Amino acid sequence: MKLGRLWNSLATPKRIPKVFSIILAVVLLAGFVVPLTYDVHQVYLKPAPQAQVNDQDPFAPYNRGGSPLEEPATYISQYPQFAQHQGMITSYLSPIAIGVSETTLYFGTSILASPGGVIDEILYFSRGFDTILESSIMLMASVIATWVALHFTMRRKEEED
Amino acid sequence: MDITTLGGQLLGIIPLGDIVLYVTTFNLFMFAAALVFTVLIAMSKTEKQVEAEFGTLNDREKKVGKDEFKVRRFLSIICGLATAGAMITGDLFNFTLFVTLIGIVNIGIVSAVKEVDVLDSAFQYGIIAMLATLPLFGGAALILAATGTLSMFEIVNIPSTAMMIFGSILLFIGVAGESGVAPFFATKAEMFRTAGSPFLVIIHLSSLLVIVRAIEVILLISKPF
Repeated sequence: MKLGRLWNSLATPKRIPKVFSIILAVVLLAGFVVPLTYDVHQVYLKPAPQAQVNDQDPFAPYNRGGSPLEEPATYISQYPQFAQHQGMITSYLSPIAIGVSETTLYFGTSILASPGGVIDEILYFSRGFDTILESSIMLMASVIATWVALHFTMRRKEEED
Repeated sequence: MDITTLGGQLLGIIPLGDIVLYVTTFNLFMFAAALVFTVLIAMSKTEKQVEAEFGTLNDREKKVGKDEFKVRRFLSIICGLATAGAMITGDLFNFTLFVTLIGIVNIGIVSAVKEVDVLDSAFQYGIIAMLATLPLFGGAALILAATGTLSMFEIVNIPSTAMMIFGSILLFIGVAGESGVAPFFATKAEMFRTAGSPFLVIIHLSSLLVIVRAIEVILLISKPF
């Protein structure tokens, strides 16, 4: 195939997702031969798998201890000097979360408790800016979807008439 | 290869807990450029496209309606602010979040138009932007596993391993997908074929600035020299 023809075929928007996914798939397959390295001194450390489950903890595997505004939760921060009150709100639970955690042992692993859900383990305080950005991505997506739905831009035929 | 070699003098840091934004001469210039451009866009009005119709004496005018103008201006401002944030952030995960925000807002800026071809290519771009989040966040996660940190100040001091280089390659594929550089340019190029130039230009500017910044980030992580 000629190179010019190849470039021309890349100018079709419909083909681009396919090209992108093929390149991504090739790189991901190449990733299997990359030697793995794991740094054991992780900043955002989690307890050993199943350790909290075996303790019959309803918040497993997300329990970090502490009580809000009184006792800080346990985690390692990259720059402790920039967040003096770190861990103070990490263990905050809404009344719904407290209610659910008292009824079931599997609160931490249910869909209800997924990040952004009731348990909100992303409220690390030291990474609070990420929480703001994550929710603003969601907000922008809903702004776009709402605008499109309210203005019926999908009704293309009627607009043309 | 450290931060001052690439960006010039380190002028200061903005600590937000673990997320530390840093300002070097280079980053400050790109940050200021993005902000100035955002202000210009917030003040400007869109252009009108007038085409002469074939065979008649009529003109066909493409205008941006008031509602459409408002939502596109709002999304453009968000896009400009996200670009400015991506320029000075010193945290890898924070950077990926900014790039994702730019991606979704770019779709939003063109989703308000009523031209079928533009919407079709915006849809295709949306698919790529969705796919690109996998290498983007996956690359950041690989680098976090390999180094144990997400702060660029710390990553700079860690000698690069094969997994960090692989992570930065994934990160680059993610940024390339979100910003639509070659060979994925066709969807973004087709998205520009509509009225409302200042808002379309911010899509372009955000892609350019993000790709420059991504190269800096990748050089900081993989340290090829």
